[in-house]
Amino acid sequence: MAGASLSRNGWIVWLTFSIGLLLSVSPLPQFMEILRPLWLALLLAFWSLYLPHKIGMVTAFLLGLAEDVLYGTLLGQSALILTLITFLVLSLQQRLRMFPMWQQSLVILVIFGLAQLVQLWLSALTGNRQPTLALVLPALVSALLWPWVSFGLRGLRRRYKIN
Amino acid sequence: MGVRLLVLVVLSVALMVVDARFTVLKPIRSQASLVLMQSYWITDLPQRLWQGVTSQFGSRTELVAENEKLQTENLLLQGRLQKLAALTEQNVRLRELLNSSALVNEKVEVAELIGMDPNPFTHRIIINKGERDGVVLGQPVLDARGLMGQVVELMPYTSRVLLLTDTTHSIPVQVNRNGLRAIASGTGNPERLELRHVADTADIKEGDLLVSSGLGQRFPAGYPVATVKEVIHDSGQPFAIVRAVPTAALNRSRYLLLVFSDSRTPEERANEAAQAQEADKQGDGAAPVPATVPKPAATQTTPASPATTTPAVKPAAHGDVAPAHGAANSAPAVKPSTVKPAAKPASKPPAATQRQEE
Repeated sequence: MAGASLSRNGWIVWLTFSIGLLLSVSPLPQFMEILRPLWLALLLAFWSLYLPHKIGMVTAFLLGLAEDVLYGTLLGQSALILTLITFLVLSLQQRLRMFPMWQQSLVILVIFGLAQLVQLWLSALTGNRQPTLALVLPALVSALLWPWVSFGLRGLRRRYKIN
Repeated sequence: MGVRLLVLVVLSVALMVVDARFTVLKPIRSQASLVLMQSYWITDLPQRLWQGVTSQFGSRTELVAENEKLQTENLLLQGRLQKLAALTEQNVRLRELLNSSALVNEKVEVAELIGMDPNPFTHRIIINKGERDGVVLGQPVLDARGLMGQVVELMPYTSRVLLLTDTTHSIPVQVNRNGLRAIASGTGNPERLELRHVADTADIKEGDLLVSSGLGQRFPAGYPVATVKEVIHDSGQPFAIVRAVPTAALNRSRYLLLVFSDSRTPEERANEAAQAQEADKQGDGAAPVPATVPKPAATQTTPASPATTTPAVKPAAHGDVAPAHGAANSAPAVKPSTVKPAAKPASKPPAATQRQEE
């Protein structure tokens, strides 16, 4: 794993994650609340795509636990979702990196949509069933944001030679 | 990779089950929240800064105007309170006549909203008071206009409040006009509550004020909850459809009130009352008029004090409620205008004698 290869500027990765946590609780206008992108999932997808030796499912699990504490959901709920997302991204990693941007977005849309459906199912189990399927919308917004996030983070990675 | 996924999935499912069924994970959660909840504070920072800046640069005329407005408002409220003191007194006396139990006194504390729950399908807010401030699970939360909700999760310095309009929340209410009882459930719409299972013939109409009935043992009785907006009688439905609008500004209030009911045991209250009296005596030497001067100072601790010193209900009721309002307005002007002088000596001596006995 990471051990032998020299890892540099790892703190930037964690900085992006903490910004992601902030973004995922930042106040939004009422009508945009329903469209809030899955920031943590986006960041995890990017970093596990480009630094798979460093960011993996365990990171996703821990971040998920943090998100659960923030959201007040059952401990382990977001952890499960984020682990699943990271797993899917990692298993498609070789292909995803080859894809053009729009195709990547499409795959991200499918993965996040699946994850949101699991989320719906889990919250139904805990008694908070959402009345609509509107919670697939964040997946759509995240997929639309993917090219920009990906572009920005790639610039960051090149700039600081994060490895 | 597959093995790792399996392990993590099993782990998170196990965590979820444990968290849902047992309280083992609560300490871990509250420790983690100590750090993580700061992010709500941080995301709230820009707004706070903006408010600070606007108040810094507010012009003098604006401030003067605001000050005038507040003074007028204060005057009006004080005027209303004078009436209230007399009414409370009367209420207490009527209760005595009916031999019914005394009103429970409640204390409130101000909390500030620091965040909204990011999930658009739940109505929860985060406030800046937590376990270390004495907040307890299930504690009612008010704003200036009515009930808002109850505390559902405690963290060391913050807590999560479930609002009345959440789909999982219901509150027992009664119509203020005639005492008709009902249950108001949240609908997921911040401007809408629904009354469930109200008979088609029930006497309830548009504009009725719904107050909490206190029957659920969770919310104190008598706080405004909602006003009825429409009553639909549909012959195809077994019950009338009653929709109400919460009186509290659920999605606008920034400052909230936490209601503390007096949960001390009778002995504790008696002791504290005695101590407060002692402090009073020492504080202002030989003040022979106990009704007016020392009361406002001592009110923090005494409100419910004499209630317990005597087993009889009657004097208890006096001491229970009257000082509270003396405290609430702390305006000496109120005292002489009411019928207090007659009531005060009645409640005073028991506490004093109690002290001497101890």
